[in-house]
Amino acid sequence: MSTKPTPAVLLQNCSKWYGQVIGINDVSLAIDGGVTGILGPNGAGKSTLFKLLMGRLKPSSGNVRLFGVDPWQSTSPYRRVGYVAETEKLYDWMTGHDFVSTLARLHGMTREEASDRASHVLEFVGLADVQNKEIGKYSKGMRQRIKIAHALVHDPDLIILDEPLHGCDPIARTSIMSVIRDLGSQGKTVLVSSHILDEIERITEQIVILHNGRLLALGNLHAIRDLLDKHPHRIMIRTENPRKLAEFFVPEDPVYGVRFSQEGALEILTNDLSAAHDVLPRVIVDSGLKISSIENPDDNLEALLGYLVGGA
Amino acid sequence: MMDSQGRGLSETVWTRLDRKAGAITELTIRQLRHRLSTWVVLAIGFLLLMSLLAMFVGGVRGGWEPIDNDGDSHDGDNDGYPAGQELKYGSDPWDGFSFPGSGDFVMEGEFQWGSVGIRSGNYTWRYATGMFTYDWIDENPRGGERILDVQSLADCPEGELFEDFWLDWGDGCRMEENRIVVYDASFTGNGTFRVEEGFYAAWGYMEDSFYVEPEPASNYIDEDDIDWTGDPNKINGFDDDGDCLRIDWAGEPEPQWWWESRHDKDANRNGIDCDVVWITDSDGNIISIIPDDGVDEDPSEENLAYEDAHRAFIIGTGKIAFVMILGIFLPLFLALGLVRDETENGTLHYLLSKPIHRGEFIIYRILGYLIIAGGFVLIMSILMGLVTAVLGPGDSIFRLRDMIVWIGIAFATILALAAYGAIFNSLGLLSSRYGVYIALVVGVYEFVMAVLTLGGATLVPVLSVSHWTLQLIDSIVLIVWPNTIEMHLIATAFELPSGLAAFWNPPVWTLGTENPFISALISVIILLLITTLNILFGQAQFKRREIM
Amino acid sequence: MFDEDEIVDDSLEPETVQTASKNEVDSELGQTRMEVAYGAGDGDDDAKAVVARKASMGVLYEQIYRPWNGQLGPRWVRNYAIFRHHVYGIFSSKGHRHYNPFVRLSILVIFLTSLTPIAMIFLSVTISGGEGSDWLNRMWGVNRYNLWGQVLGYFPRNLCMWPLLTALVVGGMISDDRKNGTSAIYFSRPVTRTDYTAMKYLSSAVVLGFVIVFSYMLYYTSAIVFNGEGWAYLIDTLPMFLGGLLAGILLVITYTSIGMALSSVSQSRFFAAIGFLAIIFGTKIVALMIELIFETTIFYILSPYDSLAHLGQWLIGIPANYEHSLALSIISVIIYNAASVGLLITRVRSLEVTRE
Repeated sequence: MSTKPTPAVLLQNCSKWYGQVIGINDVSLAIDGGVTGILGPNGAGKSTLFKLLMGRLKPSSGNVRLFGVDPWQSTSPYRRVGYVAETEKLYDWMTGHDFVSTLARLHGMTREEASDRASHVLEFVGLADVQNKEIGKYSKGMRQRIKIAHALVHDPDLIILDEPLHGCDPIARTSIMSVIRDLGSQGKTVLVSSHILDEIERITEQIVILHNGRLLALGNLHAIRDLLDKHPHRIMIRTENPRKLAEFFVPEDPVYGVRFSQEGALEILTNDLSAAHDVLPRVIVDSGLKISSIENPDDNLEALLGYLVGGA
Repeated sequence: MMDSQGRGLSETVWTRLDRKAGAITELTIRQLRHRLSTWVVLAIGFLLLMSLLAMFVGGVRGGWEPIDNDGDSHDGDNDGYPAGQELKYGSDPWDGFSFPGSGDFVMEGEFQWGSVGIRSGNYTWRYATGMFTYDWIDENPRGGERILDVQSLADCPEGELFEDFWLDWGDGCRMEENRIVVYDASFTGNGTFRVEEGFYAAWGYMEDSFYVEPEPASNYIDEDDIDWTGDPNKINGFDDDGDCLRIDWAGEPEPQWWWESRHDKDANRNGIDCDVVWITDSDGNIISIIPDDGVDEDPSEENLAYEDAHRAFIIGTGKIAFVMILGIFLPLFLALGLVRDETENGTLHYLLSKPIHRGEFIIYRILGYLIIAGGFVLIMSILMGLVTAVLGPGDSIFRLRDMIVWIGIAFATILALAAYGAIFNSLGLLSSRYGVYIALVVGVYEFVMAVLTLGGATLVPVLSVSHWTLQLIDSIVLIVWPNTIEMHLIATAFELPSGLAAFWNPPVWTLGTENPFISALISVIILLLITTLNILFGQAQFKRREIM
Repeated sequence: MFDEDEIVDDSLEPETVQTASKNEVDSELGQTRMEVAYGAGDGDDDAKAVVARKASMGVLYEQIYRPWNGQLGPRWVRNYAIFRHHVYGIFSSKGHRHYNPFVRLSILVIFLTSLTPIAMIFLSVTISGGEGSDWLNRMWGVNRYNLWGQVLGYFPRNLCMWPLLTALVVGGMISDDRKNGTSAIYFSRPVTRTDYTAMKYLSSAVVLGFVIVFSYMLYYTSAIVFNGEGWAYLIDTLPMFLGGLLAGILLVITYTSIGMALSSVSQSRFFAAIGFLAIIFGTKIVALMIELIFETTIFYILSPYDSLAHLGQWLIGIPANYEHSLALSIISVIIYNAASVGLLITRVRSLEVTRE
């Protein structure tokens, strides 16, 4: 089963537009194995992508294949797919266990099987103690986790999570993240979308960046980062006398500008981060000033996306 | 991966399908069960049926009052003789002068709207307006309307008649001891009558008067039972109360409208006065009844009306409460949102991300709704059936046929529930923006078509679900109670105010065979066809639907 | 599509004063953030080290919210705004309550259908003289029965038209607000719940009245105009016209009350609409059935339509179709209205301003 001839997710020149509005624009993509983060601001086409994969929408052009099958035509690949929709509504009158086991029965399980599996996944997502409470009484984090639980109940090979961390508090977020990481380490293909990049960074290094329906970048986070080296970077140095320190940095080659954005801090602007880091210790020693910290504020996904979006 | 967990070989596609069906159906039922509105709607339906049942039980316990089917026990002109007795004697039941033994008025003279006239003598005065000064007046006249009630005349007010005061027709007032003023009244007396200018009075005497003892009104209730010998070649039907055989009818007006006709002793044109023609087919079933006027028109309730009213209650409740109210409004309340609500809430995503075909999904949703709505209808009809079967007329302790008809009604209603559920569901899928509005209009349309069908229309309502459902009930009734058609014919022929005729019509769509099984079959096929086509239509819509 | 009610009266908006404290960017020494970030300013200037002496990155607008001290419009002006918002929506959705196009179409169709007698009278005048004209005039001309039938006739008006009209117009009046939480738009402004309810009620009644009562008045007026009737005719027929007018107004009020009450207890406009149809149709047909089987008309007092029809027969002066006392029908109309309005008031009073 693990030697699949086709990738779990395959999009070929796929476009989807709603009237005049473009949801997905000529995206080609193949994903198989591991956790992949789908990044993009709101309206980038993340949900459209997922809905195409789940056969909710019909591609306007191009092909979508889920385990080699067109999901618009056939529901058969859903046996191997778990989908966490972004919708907030749940059957509030059901208990968590009921919800998961009822949906498990839609996979053709018997009542008993479904109940066993439901207990098992609820345990896995950490809802075992509240599984007999009504969903209406759940907190936001619990609701997200019950949605994940229903998607996992049939032990799928591919799990698609649409904004699973949306609106959760840090504690819930951490526990959901660890669930997702666990799934990845079990060798499943996991797609997670988010517009909060810090979250994705904590889950995976493998990312897909979407913006305005176009595929902006695909691959390892750091590899992408290196490809983008031409873009400016910042190094933030905290010191007692930033203006004095600036005088030492300005003549250096990799540095093309400095800025005093905060009290007691110097921002060095550079196009070549590694070169800048090379000169950094020398300049600091030369200046003889006390440095309290050195930060790379751009070395996160937030900034990455900002550059990609702004510069692309 | 699940498959590798060692499922038995008995696992087939079918059992898994079955489980999915069970899960969605169960989910639908639980969903409906968790909505307050479902319970409100079902509770109101329950209350409605219980109050009808209470009416029924009250009716049974109160007993059946003998009904005066032809209305001849009333004394319309207030002359002391019931209409039936007047008809027998040939007097006018609507004229107070005309009653059995009243004799004929022979007019000797009149003043006709001319100048002031004065006439003296001992006469019977008729239609007289003016002042009468008398030395004798008949204080106990016989007769009814417009006959002057001399003993209870009030004193006249001051002034002139028609100028200072008014009198009612046939009334008068006393001016002095032996002087009265009358307006269009009739009386007998000896004296002088003065007619004012522009008014009328006639005088004369009564001829051939004799006394007839008035009969009590009860003599004219259930007085003319249906006489059917069972042999169409014998003389059937006898005018027990004599209102057909009457010699003459003094005051019968000329027919004024095309639908009016004179009393006809041989309306059925068989050469025999005052009988009933019963026409049977070769199997001896009555297919038509043509009575002469006034024959067998007031049958005893024992024989006919009990059964008639009982069946009318069952059919009426079945058609109106079950089909027209529950049948149309339960689907509107419960089926309209089966798929639409899920789409609007977004909860559809949970269900559709499972390996289940969208087409199946619709069928199982409708199935879930049908189990709730249909179960309710079935339970209610059995409950109604238990009560009517025990309390109904007849010697049997339990009228089994009542129960069969009730279950037939439930069956027909469930078919309607399925058809409406499918229609409303596919309307909701057709257009999320207009679908529900159109469903509302369809609901009203179906109701109107049901009203038209009840009213006997056969052509216009064929394009409706309610028409076929009502016809199915008509057919089932005829299958279970074959003599309903006779009862219907009798009620129509003798113009009995029968509830049966109001609620039941013989099924029309029998392909000319007049066989109720055929009309029932046609109705069932059409209803199932409507359901299937709408489900298929809804499925086609839903399959092409992009779900946001 | 959004169905939310939007407030239309601008005078209700609290004024927000924005003052920009202009911490100007030093144009000589500073660069805007974008220029720094991308190393490109207007195009040709080199990216070289510029030391900012005074770098203020952008402009901060100071938000000062001052209480609005203006004169609040009189209560009726505010209420009129709500009223206008609901009524104008029938003609134009721009800035007014949104009525589904289907609802607007139904209102138009029902209104035009209720005007058919006018066309018939016109026809009878144009082909004046002869049997046909006479017949048309007898069938559709002004008399007690036709005046009664114009508002209270069962088929087609009270079977197909008025209940559907009421269901479509009134169904969503309050339930939409409950569903979308848009009542907050009203309750966060100087509008009391009583005003809110009263205006919603009034606007529904006016929409229904436009179709039911206005068409009735048009019918009577056009009969006078087309036939060239004189003052004597007017004096003869005015009392029955006024009786019918009163009956029509009562019908509109009663239907609106029941519809609004249902709308206030439902969370979906369609539930309210179906509920209304079920009450009007169900009570009538069950009472009819009971009359036919048990020979009593007393159950008609449960039917709002029949109570109104009975009352209307008395107001116009035609013999009643019902055996029970008129007083019972009047009491029934009063109870229906009182119970509905009572329910409406209690529901609106306890309405929670949330999306339910």
